[in-house]
Amino acid sequence: MTRLVTPLVKPPPSRRLFQRPPSRRRQVLLLLPALVPIVALVLATLSALGLQSLGLMPLVGRPRVSAAAYTAVGADLLSATGLTLAIAAAATLLAVGVGLVTALLVVSFTPLSRLVRLSAAATVTVPHLVGAAAVGLLVADSGVLPRVLGLSAQQWPDLVAGPFWVAVVLEYAWKEAAFVALVVGAALATRVAQYDETAALLGAGRLHRLRHVTLPLAAPSLVVAGTISFVYVVGSYEVAWLLGRTYPEPLPVLAYRLFSSADLAARPEAAAAALVTSLVATAVASVGLLAARRWRVHA
Amino acid sequence: MRAGAPARLLLVAWFLAPLAGVALWALADQWTAATVLPQDWGLRGWREALADGLPAALLRTVVLSSTVALLATPAGAMAARGLVRVGPRLRAAASVLLVVPVVLPPLTVVLGVDVLLLRLQVPAAVGVVAVLVVQALPYTTYVMWTTYQAYDEAYEDEARTLGASALRTLLRVQLPLVAPGLAAASFLALLVGWSDYIVTLVVGGGRLVTLPVLVASNAAGTGNEPVVAALSVVAIGPPLLLLVAVGLLGRRGRRRAPTRSSVADTTDTARMAGVAS
Repeated sequence: MTRLVTPLVKPPPSRRLFQRPPSRRRQVLLLLPALVPIVALVLATLSALGLQSLGLMPLVGRPRVSAAAYTAVGADLLSATGLTLAIAAAATLLAVGVGLVTALLVVSFTPLSRLVRLSAAATVTVPHLVGAAAVGLLVADSGVLPRVLGLSAQQWPDLVAGPFWVAVVLEYAWKEAAFVALVVGAALATRVAQYDETAALLGAGRLHRLRHVTLPLAAPSLVVAGTISFVYVVGSYEVAWLLGRTYPEPLPVLAYRLFSSADLAARPEAAAAALVTSLVATAVASVGLLAARRWRVHA
Repeated sequence: MRAGAPARLLLVAWFLAPLAGVALWALADQWTAATVLPQDWGLRGWREALADGLPAALLRTVVLSSTVALLATPAGAMAARGLVRVGPRLRAAASVLLVVPVVLPPLTVVLGVDVLLLRLQVPAAVGVVAVLVVQALPYTTYVMWTTYQAYDEAYEDEARTLGASALRTLLRVQLPLVAPGLAAASFLALLVGWSDYIVTLVVGGGRLVTLPVLVASNAAGTGNEPVVAALSVVAIGPPLLLLVAVGLLGRRGRRRAPTRSSVADTTDTARMAGVAS
């Protein structure tokens, strides 16, 4: 994120004479309007999902503890987890690559760099669902791309709803690359020029500067942005639903299908799938944030 | 770095290609397969979108996202002001809590709380807003946190010693100084509400038809590319225009923000607080 207000020089210490020390308790009160809704919603979500998945909150009938929901969809949960991680890994890898290159290329102030920066910023504001629709319009077998290339629907590979989830991965990579570029670009913008100039004055070549100055400066924000993207893809429903195939399903698509099925007995299974989704997202986030912290310490 | 021009052009193409596809389809009346450009240009998609309830969906999306921004921005700003003042241990705990809504997928949240909201008979729109405000709070708090870290409370002290009331100091000194941050924070909160699909779908029970819901129901069918494209243009346009506006505002704010606090600035503070002529 860019600094939004220029840092101010601290005033002389004499002002303390006029100032009552702000009471700690009042400061804690300031936190409540944000923290209370968050804590309430998180606790409600996790306890409701836990109770539902264990059969303790049935829509009809008597509550009874059972792990039936987990065993009933156990195999699906496993394959869905694998698929979810594969899609998220492919999309994040692509997004981090394109995003990093973008961030490195927009640091300069040429008109073309400004255009890159603008088009990336524009991409960030597009809702993922609309992005999915747009990618569909582009790469479906009736899309713009096969038309421009003069290929018939038969000659064009099944990118939408095909075996390799290409359109899904492309949509995430497209949107998240813009996000990564924004985050990493902001981190680089404040510091890279000085260090780069210093290194250049000391005689470091271009590749040397990239490897030993720019990339280490970009690394912490790159890890954070990549983690956020990965976690987002793990938990996101609409893109895989719109551009993916119906079987096998990623975790969120599985969870929502079970949730909206006419069979009310499937609700505990939906809750189980939702809990597993949260678990995977939390695990990925923890690993990523720990990595980011370690990286920052080493850098 | 002239050597980077082809790479930069490629990146522009990568980011703009999906939008270009939308733009082409939004103006195509007739576009048979395997032809490079549409045969007939026109506004078929727009007419169908209007008939499908585009204005009402747009209005719902505007109201929903503004409500989310109006609630999440002040709460985030207050939390941020608190975060720069509380002790380090509480700050660390609060910042962990603030990450949770980013990690917890919105789909799992709504699958969890849907039954609770139904049992408590919370109106669908209220439930949607509540879940989305929680999704937006980490962003508004984070942006305002960086804003308050660079903000000097001495201006408020000066205004108060010059006789301005607490309210006047808030309105005439603090808010103008953090305005760029507030603009950025509310833009992000607005985006959370504007972009949402799954929360509106599940908690709204399919009856709260916002723009993304309308896009989804059309995009799930086949053969209606022009409608999908027209709806997408309306869904992409307003946040984009706002982004430009916020960018310009932020630039102006940065230029006008005072860069040092000294006795000479006291007159500025006084003028802002309206306590001296």
